[in-house]
Amino acid sequence: MDTSQHLQLLSATAQGDRKAFSALYEATSGKLYAVSLQLLQKRDLAEEALQEAYVRIWHNASEYNEQRGSVLAWMISIVRYRALDMLRAAKVRLDYQTHESREDSDTAISASPENNLFERRDRAKIDDCMDHLEKPQSDAITLAYFRGFTHQEVCHHMSTPLGSVKSWIRRGLERLKKCLET
Amino acid sequence: MNYNDENLKNALSSEYVLGTLKGRARVRYQRLLLERSDVRQNVWHWEKHLNTLGESLEAQKPRAEVWQNIQQRLGFIEIQKKTSKPWPTFLLPGAALAATIFFAVILFWPKPEIVEVPTKQIAIVQNAKAEALWLIQIMDDKLHIRATDNVTLHADNDYELWMLAKDGRAPVSLGLLPKTGENNLDRPTLFDQIEIAALAVSLEPLGGSPNGQPTKVLFTTELMML
Repeated sequence: MDTSQHLQLLSATAQGDRKAFSALYEATSGKLYAVSLQLLQKRDLAEEALQEAYVRIWHNASEYNEQRGSVLAWMISIVRYRALDMLRAAKVRLDYQTHESREDSDTAISASPENNLFERRDRAKIDDCMDHLEKPQSDAITLAYFRGFTHQEVCHHMSTPLGSVKSWIRRGLERLKKCLET
Repeated sequence: MNYNDENLKNALSSEYVLGTLKGRARVRYQRLLLERSDVRQNVWHWEKHLNTLGESLEAQKPRAEVWQNIQQRLGFIEIQKKTSKPWPTFLLPGAALAATIFFAVILFWPKPEIVEVPTKQIAIVQNAKAEALWLIQIMDDKLHIRATDNVTLHADNDYELWMLAKDGRAPVSLGLLPKTGENNLDRPTLFDQIEIAALAVSLEPLGGSPNGQPTKVLFTTELMML
């Protein structure tokens, strides 16, 4: 399904068309769920974020405008902010880590191929610019984007001092900005 | 902090979208998003580009229950008796502790207005020059309103906030807006039971509308999410 079809479905959704909303869910939920799974790493939490995102999309469909990117990118931003909120609610993360070892295998994806979907993703539009970054810069940004890692967590994951991580991300984003402008 | 500095604004917007701007800095930036359209547009710019990364993931099929739950939450289908646990049991002690910590933070926080409370929706009332007049945050249990310096102060009038329903019923008063500073208004039950087309602000005699209907509607605005 292409961008213009997403837009048609979203416009109809904004008018209260439930069939269009259902079709929009069919067409987009797989991508939104993938984003949510990467961040939350647990199916039940990822589904909770997904549900909340679609409730918001129904209520706020008329808020979309083309300055916010493609319809799909806008929808992804909604599920991603919700998942980030859940992730930042410190207890969820702490409990998840504490209980990871004895989790019910139905809901945990820690050992499954879904864990790091982003390592075998398609090429994104922004990749033309990501290619211009130094490897540690793009790695740090990728981890922050897909896994929702904080500076501290990126620093732990990449075994690098915090100052370097902050600078990689800051400079990486600056370089992305310059590239996106050209 | 000088948010007019383009480089700083870009740095903050990009890290806001990426998620690495967190804690109080994130809350401050969220408030700035309500106030300034240039900041909103800058954030949209980064959302547009960075979220193409999310689009590049291989789609994963959620369970069929997810769509069922969404329809239930939107009132499309009747709520069935839940068979699954809404929250993993191992998180329950954690949730109790989190609640305790949350209230402890509320009690001892030096500036309560910057406590991070999740905002589901916001509305910005603007004048004809697109200057923000009031920032309205829709919380779970209340509406938090902040007046900006752009509000015209009338000694003999109050401003009243109304919700306009999509079903065409008469406007429903939500209460008086602050002329300066901040206040909270109750979030009426009706707020969740009807579809809201817009919010409106009217100019009223002191104390609010004498007849339960807006006297002179000055501004309208739609609800939107962050």
